[in-house]
Amino acid sequence: MCGIAGIYAYHYAANEVDRTELRQIRDHMAQRGPDGLGEWYSSDDRVGFGHRRLTIIDLSERAAQPMVSADGKLVLTFNGEIYNYRELRASLEARGRTFRSESDTEVLLQLYAEKGVAMVHELRGMFAFALWDADKAGLLLVRDPYGIKPLYYADDGWTLRFASQVKALLNGGKISRNPEPAGWVGFCLFGSVPEPFTTFQEIRAVPAGSTIWVDRVGPHEVKQYFSIAEAYSRAEAASAPACDQEMQLRVHEALLDSVRHHLVADVPVGAFLSSGVDSGALVGLMRDAGQRDIQTVTLAFEEFRGKPEDEAPLAAEIAARYDTRHATRVVTKEEFRTDLPKILDSMDQPTIDGLNTWFVSKAAHELGLKVAISGLGGDELFGGYPSFRDIPLCVRAMAFPARIPLLGELARRLLTQVGKSSDVINPKAAGLLKYGGDYPGAYLLRRGLLMPWELEDVLGKDTIRLGLRRLKPIRHIEALLTPRPSTRFGKVAVLESALYMRNQLLRDTDWASMAHSLEVRVPLVDVELLRRLAPTLTQRKWISKSVLANSPRLPLPTAIIERPKTGFVTPIHKWLQTDARLQHWRQVPAFAVPKCAWARRWAYEVAAA
Amino acid sequence: MLANRPLRVLALVTDGFSGHGGIAEYSRSFLGSLAACDGIAEVIVLPRLNATPLDPLPFGVGQLPAVKGRIRYSLAALRTAIRRRIDVVFCGHLYMVPLAAALAKLVRAPLWVQVHGIEAWEELSVLHRRSIESAALITSVSRYTRRRLLAWVGVEPARIKVLPATVAPQFKPGPKPEYLIERHALHRKKVLMSVSRLASTEPYKGNDRVIRALPSVLTRYPDTLYLVVGEGDDRPRLEALAGELGLTEKVRFVGLVSSEELPDYFRVADAFVMPSTGEGFGIVFLEAMACGIPVIGGNKDGSLDPLADGVLGFAVDPENNEELVSAICSALRSARPEASRSQRFNIQFFTEHLKALRAHGLPSTNRCKREK
Repeated sequence: MCGIAGIYAYHYAANEVDRTELRQIRDHMAQRGPDGLGEWYSSDDRVGFGHRRLTIIDLSERAAQPMVSADGKLVLTFNGEIYNYRELRASLEARGRTFRSESDTEVLLQLYAEKGVAMVHELRGMFAFALWDADKAGLLLVRDPYGIKPLYYADDGWTLRFASQVKALLNGGKISRNPEPAGWVGFCLFGSVPEPFTTFQEIRAVPAGSTIWVDRVGPHEVKQYFSIAEAYSRAEAASAPACDQEMQLRVHEALLDSVRHHLVADVPVGAFLSSGVDSGALVGLMRDAGQRDIQTVTLAFEEFRGKPEDEAPLAAEIAARYDTRHATRVVTKEEFRTDLPKILDSMDQPTIDGLNTWFVSKAAHELGLKVAISGLGGDELFGGYPSFRDIPLCVRAMAFPARIPLLGELARRLLTQVGKSSDVINPKAAGLLKYGGDYPGAYLLRRGLLMPWELEDVLGKDTIRLGLRRLKPIRHIEALLTPRPSTRFGKVAVLESALYMRNQLLRDTDWASMAHSLEVRVPLVDVELLRRLAPTLTQRKWISKSVLANSPRLPLPTAIIERPKTGFVTPIHKWLQTDARLQHWRQVPAFAVPKCAWARRWAYEVAAA
Repeated sequence: MLANRPLRVLALVTDGFSGHGGIAEYSRSFLGSLAACDGIAEVIVLPRLNATPLDPLPFGVGQLPAVKGRIRYSLAALRTAIRRRIDVVFCGHLYMVPLAAALAKLVRAPLWVQVHGIEAWEELSVLHRRSIESAALITSVSRYTRRRLLAWVGVEPARIKVLPATVAPQFKPGPKPEYLIERHALHRKKVLMSVSRLASTEPYKGNDRVIRALPSVLTRYPDTLYLVVGEGDDRPRLEALAGELGLTEKVRFVGLVSSEELPDYFRVADAFVMPSTGEGFGIVFLEAMACGIPVIGGNKDGSLDPLADGVLGFAVDPENNEELVSAICSALRSARPEASRSQRFNIQFFTEHLKALRAHGLPSTNRCKREK
């Protein structure tokens, strides 16, 4: 797990790679990779790669990056983990290829040499990498199917620059800081910046499950090699187990396989533990996979002591059940105050979340961990969010009235007007008729931070106009839901995975953990797991988290399964009342009303930072 | 059976192979190079103005008579597109992009749009925007113009490529020509020069900023003279400014210079300076560089391209007098740089790149189009 960077002066008029700039980009990511650094330049100085390394697999220098193939024709800078690298290596060796290191990095190089871009279909893991192919005189950028690892690029028309973080690219000093209206509008609507946009016009994300080829004419159009919507649609047509027992067995096997793969490392792998099903079940499965010594860590807040939000007691119970070395880390308001500048600085793109991951990663790092397993993705996979119920209900109720022309817009205007004079009406209620009749709109209503008609409270007119025009929020959501799964479960699972999880959860986990030089692994976000489970999950009439809870050989305690879902909460709503540096929101009338959701206020603080 | 024949391109341009100025010159390099591409049968140029070509047309280029008037021009374009079985429509100026897009749609041909400078910097009408968005390939003369265009059109950034201007072969280094030293009494003088239209509608060129910088330059180099090449209605204002600052003797307004003499004007100078804020590219920087003199330009617009971000010339904040003064003094102090700097923008690179762009952004034969 690392930080990658590179510059490719692809245009004949471009200056050669500026080594100082590349180092500035790379070293802005020192926290992502504190164990080593490297750089490589082509002989004509048209291409330069940089790398910051966090050593996890093959700790030796032979696995250092950027890595050059034996014949000198391929160069790789890579961030992430390839969990099936041993299988891939064995099959490459069977075809007569010899290896110089024990790393997954070298497997990528050799796999590309063997199969070219088609290699991407064989990779299981989280990855973002750039590969220079000297024979073809081109650069390949690749990002994993779910978008667990980040990869951003900036193309000014002469030179393409890429890095694991937006702020790293900016630190090179040569990229325009012109804002991207679609990024800002997207942040205000969703609470996170929807890829491929960032808040800067010139910087874009390589979309999840996509590749970009760059040669002398610059970047070619993005090529998608994996789509979550397609995976679910296909799963609906596949055969699924008929009885509960068979299902439970299949889930157990698939989960155990994923966890086993996610434990591949040459350093100890710990785990985040909350009082929820996802992380608990994973710790149980880590046991089943044969790991004896497991360090777990739970986050607790002073403010929650003795209250239902307190995760510590139940988490301790789970830890005891699976006999882990357990640590509970208490975070105080004081610590939040101290860390706040660092948090805002590490936050690569504005987001309303990530505080919890910041502190739990900090705790894991303090315990000496370099790798931790997280239950992220369990709610998307097993339908744990209330949205799996609410969105289909909303669509069913609104489908007919939404078809009456103009009624939705009329109701929206009327209710918005009424809403302005009283704080009784939820701003989202105004959009129910307009958006509620179909999945993309209903999703925006359910997950949205602000509604499009509320943007004028926080953004300038031109930003809103240009941003909405470019982002096209409903069409943006629609595109991610294409091809559209036929089941309700499938549709919501796709929306949650391709929007909330990708742009919010995974991004936040990346910046907040990497700031503490910690690699977070997510066994529940895995294409192979999805391939094996999706037929079952989409075709069963009823599915619940208990399937996950019962997956470890020693199942989770019933108290955990039956506990109502709370989510992973922080006392940020309280801190927003008192921290003197976080009072900008009071200037916005819509946010000053007492009923305003804390996330809206926090979003404003983040944007103001 | 479908013919697998090379492509015929219809180019809608303002000047074609006749006009003067940066855009006209660029179009000529562009169309000539396009005609030289593999798989291109013919480039048919339909100019709006100035029909008589200055030089013989390059191989593969045919120019139709200029057609004045919007409606007549549109009809002529339509007639040509249909009768000559056009496969690609090229639009050389955003002014004509709605027509070009409509034609392209009508004959189901891909559209190639070229953008230059200011015309693409601010948001245009919905019709213009949609027309641009329908293009298969957009080329911009500079990174800056590309960025400004991307701020308001809804086009995948990867579809907008940069194709920089080139420099004509007559611009090459040489000794300071005696006849110009005589004509303007430049013996033992340090000569600063600029070349531009002096139009009151284009005050961004920055001649006034150079005049204001002169007093400080003169304290260090008292023998400095500033030659202002070019003509226009802004000249009285500039002359007045020089007068106010007591620089009448130090600023020489040369007026229009013939294209034959222009290279000599560059050669007689010790530095070229144009701290502009409105350049799409600024081909004059390349011309000055090719003649072997140091160049100074602004860092807020397309000038950064010929200056290569300061690698090939001085890139200064045009609004910052101190920066400008210090760049001028450095340029006057330095030895004449290698004229080969401008080789970075030579016509061979341009042609090769254009060929690569064509292969990348357009179908290789008309077969692809018919099958769509």
